[in-house]
Amino acid sequence: MADRTLDFSGLKCPLPILKLSAVYPEFKSGEIIEVIADCPTFERDIKTWCQKLGKTILNIEKYNNKVKVTIRI
Amino acid sequence: MSSPDCEYRDSLSEILHLCSDILIKIAQGDTTQKIEITSDNPDIQRLINCINKLSQEVEVMINLTHELAIGICEHFDVLRRLYLGDFSATASEESSIEVVKMLGQLINKQKERFLDYIAEIKKQQEEIEKLYDQQRVTLSSVGVAILVSEEDMTVEFCNEEFERLTGYSKEEIEGKMKWTAFFSEKMLDRMIEYHKLRRIDPSLAPRQYETLLKDRYGNIKEVLLSVAMIPYTKKSIASVVDISERKRIQEQLIHSQKMESLGFLSERVAHEYNNILTAVLGFATLLNAKIEDQSLKNYVQKVIDAAERAKDLSKKLLIFGRKEELGEIKEVNLNKYLMDFSEFIKAVIGKDIEFVLDLPEEEIFYRIDPSHLEVILMNLATNARDAMPEGGKLTVGLKKISIDIEYSYTHPLVKPGSYILLCISDTGVGMDEKIKQKLFEPFFTTKPKGKGTGLGLSTVYGIVKQYEGHIHVYSEVNKGTTFKIYLPTTDTGKKTSIDKESLKGNETVLLVDDDEQPRQFFASILREFGYTVLEACDGQEALRIFNENKDSIALCIVDLVMPILSGLEVVKRIRQIKPNQKLIIMSGYPVSFKDMVSLEKNLSVEEILYKIREVLNKEG
Repeated sequence: MADRTLDFSGLKCPLPILKLSAVYPEFKSGEIIEVIADCPTFERDIKTWCQKLGKTILNIEKYNNKVKVTIRI
Repeated sequence: MSSPDCEYRDSLSEILHLCSDILIKIAQGDTTQKIEITSDNPDIQRLINCINKLSQEVEVMINLTHELAIGICEHFDVLRRLYLGDFSATASEESSIEVVKMLGQLINKQKERFLDYIAEIKKQQEEIEKLYDQQRVTLSSVGVAILVSEEDMTVEFCNEEFERLTGYSKEEIEGKMKWTAFFSEKMLDRMIEYHKLRRIDPSLAPRQYETLLKDRYGNIKEVLLSVAMIPYTKKSIASVVDISERKRIQEQLIHSQKMESLGFLSERVAHEYNNILTAVLGFATLLNAKIEDQSLKNYVQKVIDAAERAKDLSKKLLIFGRKEELGEIKEVNLNKYLMDFSEFIKAVIGKDIEFVLDLPEEEIFYRIDPSHLEVILMNLATNARDAMPEGGKLTVGLKKISIDIEYSYTHPLVKPGSYILLCISDTGVGMDEKIKQKLFEPFFTTKPKGKGTGLGLSTVYGIVKQYEGHIHVYSEVNKGTTFKIYLPTTDTGKKTSIDKESLKGNETVLLVDDDEQPRQFFASILREFGYTVLEACDGQEALRIFNENKDSIALCIVDLVMPILSGLEVVKRIRQIKPNQKLIIMSGYPVSFKDMVSLEKNLSVEEILYKIREVLNKEG
């Protein structure tokens, strides 16, 4: 169960990761969050983002042209 | 790559349909698909090529946008961590986008500069802390009480000396107490006003002033306060010097000067009074011898008795003025004297008062007129008895003490040296400071009218001063009083342990004295102790004898005062003949010479022989 969910559906990449970067500092270290987006490049973006910022991807789930990525902050 | 599921593979409409599908995907940001089919129609083929080219260009742009976004996210995160103080964060300096790469380098350089700056600040901070520590240690060990006060009067800092002075600890004081807690209430209004004025302009308040400090036990001490403002702050620093002792010494000096004047006055009055009394007594005695009428004789006898009492009174005044001639001064074994005299004391104080005699094992000798000792002891014992109407304890103690230079700093009237301490303590009603101040003044008494003359303690004072001694009085109301009498000693404490054998000698001594009696006396003693004595009755004879016997004469004892050739002249001439000749100058009163031993004629035989032996035993 995630601590919170961020739904960026409808936003074009790279806006989802830019938004994520702006809001995640407010989260506690170790918190589990779900990020949802429907941009085709989102999955690639969030993978790079997690790798560069040292966050762990716990799960990737695709449904209805959307991608839900669960990460640990 | 073309779509394998395309339903309109070869027709124009199918191709256009495919093109529009691909364009939609490109618009969505999906540039993974391409149109692989070819067309014979050059226009269609150009459209296909254009769409594929568009896909490629859009992909490049998307990649760039994403790289830019990731770069921004990454740098943003590093800046955020640095802001939070996490200096392990380092920005990536790798990016195909020049500005992102440069931003990463800039962040890292900024971080380095920032770290250098922090290191510099830390270094300065350490320096400041070191200086602060040095300052604290200096202030702590400066030997004067110091306190630093805030504008609201809270004590920010105080040193160990201040702790000692007030009885409070630093933990209790610093940051918790206001300086007003350490001063007497009656001084506070003025001090608080100074505190405020000083913060307006330091010149408005005195830099130094005397005030009253109150310690934690409520004791009041006179102190000298020196206050200054600490630059760039509203804090002030004050040094507090306890001047109670200084004041006490000043008072002691004033008191002693007062006693000195009183002594002088008493002596003058007593002297004049004595002259008159001599006439009164003389003529009354004559009259008494001449008249025969018994009733008149009785009257005259009463005059004689009254004059005798008056004479006794004037004698006491003379003693106080220290002009009374010394009686028979002799070597007194104080232990034995006190032991014998304690019977009289016991009789004076009665059975309700316990008497304790505290004597040292070592016998103490002192050159004193025994009648003076009697006056001292009887007066103090009588006073002690009167101070203990309900009974109590009277202790008489005796010991030898040595007063060092440090003690004499705080008691300027007491010279450093060896003393005999006679201590008389009672457990009586004691006395307050006011009485203590007047205690030794002539005619001062606390006894009921007619019970005391008020001359007892002033006589004791006079006697002690006559021996160049001192009296200290310690008294507490309802606890008791102790009189400490310090009598200076010139001896080295050897009298009691002198071995008669060690006083003997077989050397030849030339004894020069124009006065026959003492010369013969000394000669006979010296002979008795084994010496060969050559006698000379004047300087010329002495020089003649010395010239004839200079090799055998080990010591010359020369009287200081002689007619024709004085003792010093004889000594000078002897030294011209034999420069290293051992010599002793003898006189009837104490004298001292820089390069010669002197001897008082009135010393005891043992002391004289001891001194002679000391000179003879000395090498060179």
